[in-house]
Amino acid sequence: MATASFESGAAETANRSRALRAALRRLAAKLARSWPFIAFFVGFFLFWEYSIDWFGIPAYILPKPSEIVTKSAADFDRLLYYTYVTGVETVLGYVAAVIVAVPLGLAIAFSSILRRTIYPFFVSIEMTPKIAFAPLFISWLGFGLLPKVIIVFLVCFFPIVLNAILAFGSLPEELERFVRATGAGPLRSFMKVRLPAAMPQCFVGFKYAAINATVGATIAEFIGSDQGLGFYIQIVTGNMRPDLAFAGIFLLTLLGLSLFGIVTVCERLAIPWHISQRRRH
Amino acid sequence: MGSAIELTQVSKSFDTVDGAVHAFGPADLTIAPGEFVSLLGPSGCGKSTVILMIAGLLAPSHGAIRVNDRPVVGPQTAIGIMFQDNTLVPWRTVRGNIELQLELRALDKQRYAERITRMIKAVRLDGFAERQPFELSGGMQQRAAFCQALVHEPDTLLLDEPLGKLDAMTREGIRVDLQALWLERRPTVVFVTHSIEEAIQLSSKICVITPRPGLIDRVIDIDLPWPRNLEVKKSPTFASYLGMIQEIFHGYGVF
Repeated sequence: MATASFESGAAETANRSRALRAALRRLAAKLARSWPFIAFFVGFFLFWEYSIDWFGIPAYILPKPSEIVTKSAADFDRLLYYTYVTGVETVLGYVAAVIVAVPLGLAIAFSSILRRTIYPFFVSIEMTPKIAFAPLFISWLGFGLLPKVIIVFLVCFFPIVLNAILAFGSLPEELERFVRATGAGPLRSFMKVRLPAAMPQCFVGFKYAAINATVGATIAEFIGSDQGLGFYIQIVTGNMRPDLAFAGIFLLTLLGLSLFGIVTVCERLAIPWHISQRRRH
Repeated sequence: MGSAIELTQVSKSFDTVDGAVHAFGPADLTIAPGEFVSLLGPSGCGKSTVILMIAGLLAPSHGAIRVNDRPVVGPQTAIGIMFQDNTLVPWRTVRGNIELQLELRALDKQRYAERITRMIKAVRLDGFAERQPFELSGGMQQRAAFCQALVHEPDTLLLDEPLGKLDAMTREGIRVDLQALWLERRPTVVFVTHSIEEAIQLSSKICVITPRPGLIDRVIDIDLPWPRNLEVKKSPTFASYLGMIQEIFHGYGVF
């Protein structure tokens, strides 16, 4: 009896240590793959940290990373709140752009009259830097949330709509014929074939827009605002506090990365079958 | 038994920027139920155009097509079509792709579940039902597409060079499968190919089509025993058909 329980205990321990070893091996493999990036990243900040003293750069020109962290900690509450403000502007503008642009892209892809009217119009507007409209929207709508959301919307809208038009308009000919030969109605063929087939190209637009969304929010805040990270960076730079400006820049980067990360996760969930999502060995 | 197909003075030209391009016809063709007819001709002779017109996916410029004595005016949903590029979608498994045909036709998947399993086995894809298309070789993909085209039990098959992109060994394997299926169920098959040997091996009748604009120049009945196995392919009659048709294309200046 005692021997049996001893043996099962030993087996359990062996199992556990095997699982632990496997987990360690996976971690080691991951590190082995990403260590060049980590090393570069750490090296970059170390170089920044120590070159400030070596070259005698004054802190009001370029602060050390360690100073950016310690000094901005004192202003943590404000930074956190402004991150929230800019985040709300960015997300609202982005989501609104997705909601409007995808159905519109779909309509343009399937309507020859829209394709000959709105589509060329959109293509020409795509060449206009949307940011150029920012001062106008601020003057029309004031310093509040709405003009920022509109500017983020404008920045995000065009890449999404143009990619959606491309996505819905480029079903392979043979797939198109296959669907027609089944006699399936428009809704059924859309849900079963056209929509899933269009998703990868739509996500190209979603990701591109996600990269640009924070640019729109930041510049809108530069032009006219009394809160948000863009506003903050401008104010603290004027006060000769580049350390705080860098803190704002890092938080903007984090905001952009988060949005892009969320979109990437959605992509992985929506089109796990696509060639871009397959695991590389 | 399959459908009867009749083409009367059918021709097709396409409008392009440089004016109309005459692609096919005018041609007459009568296909009896249960026949295996190959459209044999060089690239660009309008063979695929004929398939699309019979399927009702492309309207002829002139002439009329009748399937089972009814004029073709829109997509013919009772048939099965297979294209040179397969119509497997990447977001579904092999089984899911076969089911797509049923779902698009609003047919009950459950009722066909057993049939799908049997078909997958028949084309030697058992064990691959839950795989994604990209995990399959080209030949396996085409065999899956074959199941997709046939799952709804069409009595007429339009096959537009379905083996065109496969290697010779895989082609031979699928030809054998296709012939076995045809002998068992006797659907009407219209098969587009540019391989003379393939046409002789599979067909009860071969339509020889001239280079552009495609015209049905000769209709040759292939009188060889079924199934056309290796033995038949080595026979002198097979070789004489081969020689005769090669000579016809040589006459066109194709080779």
